[in-house]
Amino acid sequence: MAERIRNWKIVKPNGIDSGVRIMLASVLLVLLVSCGGKKGNDTETPTVTFNCPANALQIKALEKEIPAFTRKTGIVVKLNPFSGEEKLYAMLAADQAPDIFYTNTVVRDKLAAEGYLLDLNTVGKGDPFLSRLRPAVIERGKSIDGGWYSISNWEFTCGVYYNRDVFDQLGIRYPDSLWTWNDMVEIARRLTADSDGDGRIDRYGVFIGSHFVEAFELMNHAPIHPNTILLDIAPESREVYRKYLELVANNIMPDLRRVQAMGMQAQQLLESGRVAMLVEAVPNTNLLEYLTIDVGLAPLPRFDNKKPLYFRSGSGGLSIYAGTKHPRAAWQVLKWLISDADIYRPSPVLKDVDFVNGWFAKYPRLKGSGFEAVWKLSERYNGGDPRYFVRFSSWTSHAILEQFQPLLDQLWAGSISLNDVLAEVPAINKHVLDELESLLQSNNLEPAFAKALRKEHERAKKEVADASAARR
Amino acid sequence: MRTRRISFLARTTVQYLVLLILGTAFMVPVIWMLSSSLHDVQGVFALPFKWIPGIWHWENYYRVVTLLPFGRYFVNTLIITVPYMLFMVLSSSFAAYGFSRLRFPGRDKLFALCVATMMLPGQVTIIPLYIMYSKLGLVDTYWPLIIPAVFGSPFYIFLLRQFFLTIPRELDEAALIDGASHLRIYWSVILPQARPALATVLIFSFIGSWNDFFGPLIYINSPEKATLTLGLNLMKTQILGSGVVEWNTLMAASVLVLIPNVVLFFLAQKQFMRGINLGGIRG
Repeated sequence: MAERIRNWKIVKPNGIDSGVRIMLASVLLVLLVSCGGKKGNDTETPTVTFNCPANALQIKALEKEIPAFTRKTGIVVKLNPFSGEEKLYAMLAADQAPDIFYTNTVVRDKLAAEGYLLDLNTVGKGDPFLSRLRPAVIERGKSIDGGWYSISNWEFTCGVYYNRDVFDQLGIRYPDSLWTWNDMVEIARRLTADSDGDGRIDRYGVFIGSHFVEAFELMNHAPIHPNTILLDIAPESREVYRKYLELVANNIMPDLRRVQAMGMQAQQLLESGRVAMLVEAVPNTNLLEYLTIDVGLAPLPRFDNKKPLYFRSGSGGLSIYAGTKHPRAAWQVLKWLISDADIYRPSPVLKDVDFVNGWFAKYPRLKGSGFEAVWKLSERYNGGDPRYFVRFSSWTSHAILEQFQPLLDQLWAGSISLNDVLAEVPAINKHVLDELESLLQSNNLEPAFAKALRKEHERAKKEVADASAARR
Repeated sequence: MRTRRISFLARTTVQYLVLLILGTAFMVPVIWMLSSSLHDVQGVFALPFKWIPGIWHWENYYRVVTLLPFGRYFVNTLIITVPYMLFMVLSSSFAAYGFSRLRFPGRDKLFALCVATMMLPGQVTIIPLYIMYSKLGLVDTYWPLIIPAVFGSPFYIFLLRQFFLTIPRELDEAALIDGASHLRIYWSVILPQARPALATVLIFSFIGSWNDFFGPLIYINSPEKATLTLGLNLMKTQILGSGVVEWNTLMAASVLVLIPNVVLFFLAQKQFMRGINLGGIRG
């Protein structure tokens, strides 16, 4: 018998029961019926798909509004609320990308350079809608080849949220637009308290997340340019780094490790009374929905006599797929999303929208909080767009941050000194140039991008060589 | 005698203590989820966290089912999970039978190759697979989430093969004498003997498919075809700066999504534990 098995000789099968066969056939039949996708209608009506990174509430709101838009324009909008970078790349590779999708600055530039994005000038040129957009919004959407590839649907600035009850209890005057960094430090010192006298601080004066340090670098006139190819820690930035570290050293701000150990998010620190002032984005829906305390809002403090440079930023926007079958319809949908769709209203990117009062209508308790002053100052002293969180050029930000960010984390944790960080800058820049060189050699870039980037690469190489010669 | 008893007691105490610590460590996130699902928004992040909420917000569960078409998502997930599970058990056990019972040239090399595919990260194949399904017109249908199960999984093939090796060959030989084919032996001799291992594969594949987020994210586009995991994500995703994550509602939704996993586990617990033990011993 074993011999038969070894020879792999199969005896005549008795077969499986007919009941089992019927069961298997039924399963297959049910699958065939239930799993098939609906075939799309091949009509003349243009259909625009929108890959919308929204939550359930926002999707519901959009779904309600779409029929009215379709009746008005004859354009059908199909929502695809499931987004992700991997999904987008897979869809692009299969030429099945949605007509409109969200991109951050780095992804946008990468996709534009590979020819996946529509230059919005081709559909938007001469459209009166452009005059409604803040000029910075259009500028922010441009890439290195001069093409326009995305429109931000959101903007924010930065401010100091403070607990008004604590200020009132201690008789401290609320900060105004003239307050300076030194004023902030002094106020934070007064706010810091060890109420039970056990030697442990129960309330810190202020908390500034490390990702907001850049806002202060800008206020201190550090040369932060959104298209910076190389890492340069200017003296103004170094001064801010030192001042930031002093906040922790002087025990008026909890260090990042302590905050992590407490397991608290920034908004919890303010709500729970562990800090009295908090630097955060303005407007910030999550913060406002969460806070129950009486909160005031002040602009960022100035640095002595320097003119303040408040900023407005948006870290991404909506782009149109270059392979769309209906570019004009997609442009119309994009305009509608930005200007009329309820989920983006009130829109901060439009000049003709009263954003402040629109926001007050959403959050009445902000009236008298200082929100209006902070928002308007960011317009009046617009320090530009530091491309918040993507400070460096899209082409080199990854190469810089993969080496620079761990050093910064160690610096804020007190494990290394500022000099240690500065010593690494030449090596980081060398790595950045190598990465850029590889990118240029990959031949994946559209000619206009390759040309512009090559020019930047040459300039950066010269800059590094000059710096190296100066050091010698 | 007394020393042995004391030693036994000490060993048992230590064992239970370790189990208690580990069990607590694993249960804390689940309890936090349950508790958060009954808090209000502020309560979720209140410090110190109240494990038993002052007011039990059962309305969070009602909000889940009214905010999302939860029933629809549940059915959609079942449409994927049930055939996925059945195909996976059938195909993996079929391949495992071949690797454990048949002798043919290159069998062990083929088995090694099969197991080696476990090392291949799923992300590597996303784009070619997506293009393939797209060309077949199967994107935005459930097929790309079910078809892979038809070809089995190397892990389950490995698990079942190890288990099949523990089943005495004499049983096959007796069946062969009676004139049974390999198909009959597989179906009537091996599978009934391998119930614990099959239960293990059934549970693992159920959990894998039920909790799969990445697959549906890639292949499903229409909101009405969403699965539960995509639905959960819809509660979390927000447009920059203009949306709020309701963590308490999200936790309530997570509890609802978790229930079928827990029920299935308890239903098949006995077989599952046997499967794990036996598969492990022989591995």
